[in-house]
Amino acid sequence: MAVEEEHAERPPEASRPLTPSEQREAERLRPVEVRPGKALYRAVLPGVVQAPADYVLALSRKSSLWPMTFGLACCAIEMMSAYMSHHDLDRFGIIPWASPRQADVMIVAGTVTKKMAPAVKMLYEQMPNPKWVLAMGACATNGGPYTRYDRVLQGVDKIVPVDVYVPGCPPRPEALMEGLIALQNKIMADRKAIG
Amino acid sequence: MVVEEERDLETIDIHVNVGPQHPATHGVFRMVLTVSGEKVVDVVPHIGYMHRGAEKLSENMDYRQALIYQDRTEYLAQFNAEMCYVMAVEKLAGIEVPERAEYIRVILAELNRITSHYMFVGAFATDLGVYGTIFTYAFREREYIQELFESVSGDRMMYGYFRPGGVVWDVSADFKERVRWLCKQTRVGINDIERLLTRNEIFVARCRDIGAIAAEDAIDYGLSGPMLRASGVPVDLRREEPYSIYDRFDFDIPVGERGDVYDRYLVRMEEMRQSVRIVEQALEQMPEGPVLPEKLPRRLRPPLGEVYMRTENPRGEYGIYLVSKGGEKPYRLKIRSSCFCNLMALKEMVVGHYVADAVIILGSVDIVLGEVDR
Amino acid sequence: MSDIDDESGEKPADPVPPGTVADTFREVLPDVAFAAAPGALDVILMIAREDVPRVLRAAKEDPRLDFKYMRCLSGVDHGEQGLEVVYQLYSYTHKHSVAIKARIPQEDPRIASVTPIWRGADWHEREAAEMFGIKFEGHPNPVPLLLPEDMTDHHPLRKDVPLVPVEEWQGVRLGPEAVNVGHIPAGYERLAGPAEGGGEEGKE
Repeated sequence: MAVEEEHAERPPEASRPLTPSEQREAERLRPVEVRPGKALYRAVLPGVVQAPADYVLALSRKSSLWPMTFGLACCAIEMMSAYMSHHDLDRFGIIPWASPRQADVMIVAGTVTKKMAPAVKMLYEQMPNPKWVLAMGACATNGGPYTRYDRVLQGVDKIVPVDVYVPGCPPRPEALMEGLIALQNKIMADRKAIG
Repeated sequence: MVVEEERDLETIDIHVNVGPQHPATHGVFRMVLTVSGEKVVDVVPHIGYMHRGAEKLSENMDYRQALIYQDRTEYLAQFNAEMCYVMAVEKLAGIEVPERAEYIRVILAELNRITSHYMFVGAFATDLGVYGTIFTYAFREREYIQELFESVSGDRMMYGYFRPGGVVWDVSADFKERVRWLCKQTRVGINDIERLLTRNEIFVARCRDIGAIAAEDAIDYGLSGPMLRASGVPVDLRREEPYSIYDRFDFDIPVGERGDVYDRYLVRMEEMRQSVRIVEQALEQMPEGPVLPEKLPRRLRPPLGEVYMRTENPRGEYGIYLVSKGGEKPYRLKIRSSCFCNLMALKEMVVGHYVADAVIILGSVDIVLGEVDR
Repeated sequence: MSDIDDESGEKPADPVPPGTVADTFREVLPDVAFAAAPGALDVILMIAREDVPRVLRAAKEDPRLDFKYMRCLSGVDHGEQGLEVVYQLYSYTHKHSVAIKARIPQEDPRIASVTPIWRGADWHEREAAEMFGIKFEGHPNPVPLLLPEDMTDHHPLRKDVPLVPVEEWQGVRLGPEAVNVGHIPAGYERLAGPAEGGGEEGKE
């Protein structure tokens, strides 16, 4: 009503007759109607929610796990496939993050050799608590197809404590997703322990 | 009046450790750069963090079982590595491969070349700083081709599909349809990525005249593949020493002029297009028939002898030196990996450039650490 | 020279047909003894290890041979008969390839380095040195390449070095204090109980 009339008024300087498109402008450029409303949750939920602190902390930790990009070998390619658009991991809140200082979980994807083992240990120690380790693939679990070579560490759990093992050579991105969801379940289930 | 006076600044060269865990090193590769200011004065590459002993373990396995190590060594161009290995065994044992199997092998190997170059473009763009865009496009295209590979062999990555003598089972009825669609889709995908990068002013400014290596030095260092072709040497093993059925196809060999990073990128992108050409020709010529010879021995025992079989992998010349002493297991299986030899020229290419360029030059070598360290 | 097939001497080396690169080698270096044999793809020449620097330098620099590209340098362990170094060469101008082998005894595994001739032999020789224990004399930087620096006391690719046995599973024990973290696959339920005798300590 009042709004439409404002826009329907032409500036007084225009003295030529209006073209058809200008005549339709009032209709075309009608602004959006903003209706005052109330969010649904206010009607349904109370204004304050009481929840145990560890529940909230565990919920927030599991929903935004940032893995340190630690792709060593072939499993890294499947891990990258899992981050990319086909099997998106970002919808779980999981973004690859290169720096260990801001990462939550270390996905050890690939064979750990004895030459690389001190570096793995150092990176694990650089991660701040709380941290988790997911051993992806057969090589990180127990050495995989290379287990009988004497320069290969038979499993990364010889140097760091592992929370979830994902078998496969390489595990499909869906298998990695299942491993990460199992890790999320574990974080929720272990919330009293982490504290 | 301003008086300018010159003072000598005392500087020291510092060592920057681009360590084994680094987002830009394509795996566990470590290089120690000695920088003076921002210019690199010396680079010492340290490899061996992925040395898993594929050669030693292959000596304890059957000829058919040793195939799995080829997949895991070159884990981005698996079909090409498998092809080299099975052809080496076939040459030693004198096995004839049926025609249909040859065509299937060539189609899969060329498609794998395309996926490998997509991975190169994605990782290379990430090294430049394009965080995620080209990488996502490249992986989307790779997923289409990987779905085909999964339907053919059963696995997304480590196929194990080739056997000495052919391939292990025939492809499905809709294989030709899907490959035709993939050829069309690949052309679209390459154009998508090239539109963003090739004429991009920043890309060209960062890649032109960086990391150039002359043709004679390239041959002396033993470079091969796109790195050699970018330096102006028109050599492709599919033309020089044709193996399998590559002499039946008509394709061009892209050759660069200056040997810098930009030429290597262009050579690889053009190679993808030529691979599509080969695949289309192979699809038309592919006959029906068996995919394994009828009289394949149950236990494969090649006679005494040795062979050095070489193929053109996406990264260069991949060679298998196989020594057989008549047993069921290889006596010595030496893998001549393309990236191992390409990395030797790193110091020559990097010294004199800036630190950021060192990362790009390493990305343009397109290393796969499984192959470098075996 | 020594013959190539040495485990079972039944198969004599076939004579190489004339006109191959073996003849060119004999023409270029008439006083060096070559034993030629046809391989599956290339001609194989066997030479003594003292002739290695001369033959390979002539292979690169003589215009009739012009092997500017050294493809591969591998070591082979033949047990009692010694170690062997194999050089694979290729020429882009003449388009011929050759494999040159030199046998060295196990007690005295020294051979001249070809890094001064082809710079691309550098890392190949370092790897052969640490895998087989061959000393390449004249190599500019003979440090280990692939193996960790403090673990080079034995050479893995020698035939007398065995593979390690597979160790037992490292004892992932879900003890009594663990909570249900999801499903436990069938067959692994016994691990959910009290700690069993698990795997042995990892060897480092």
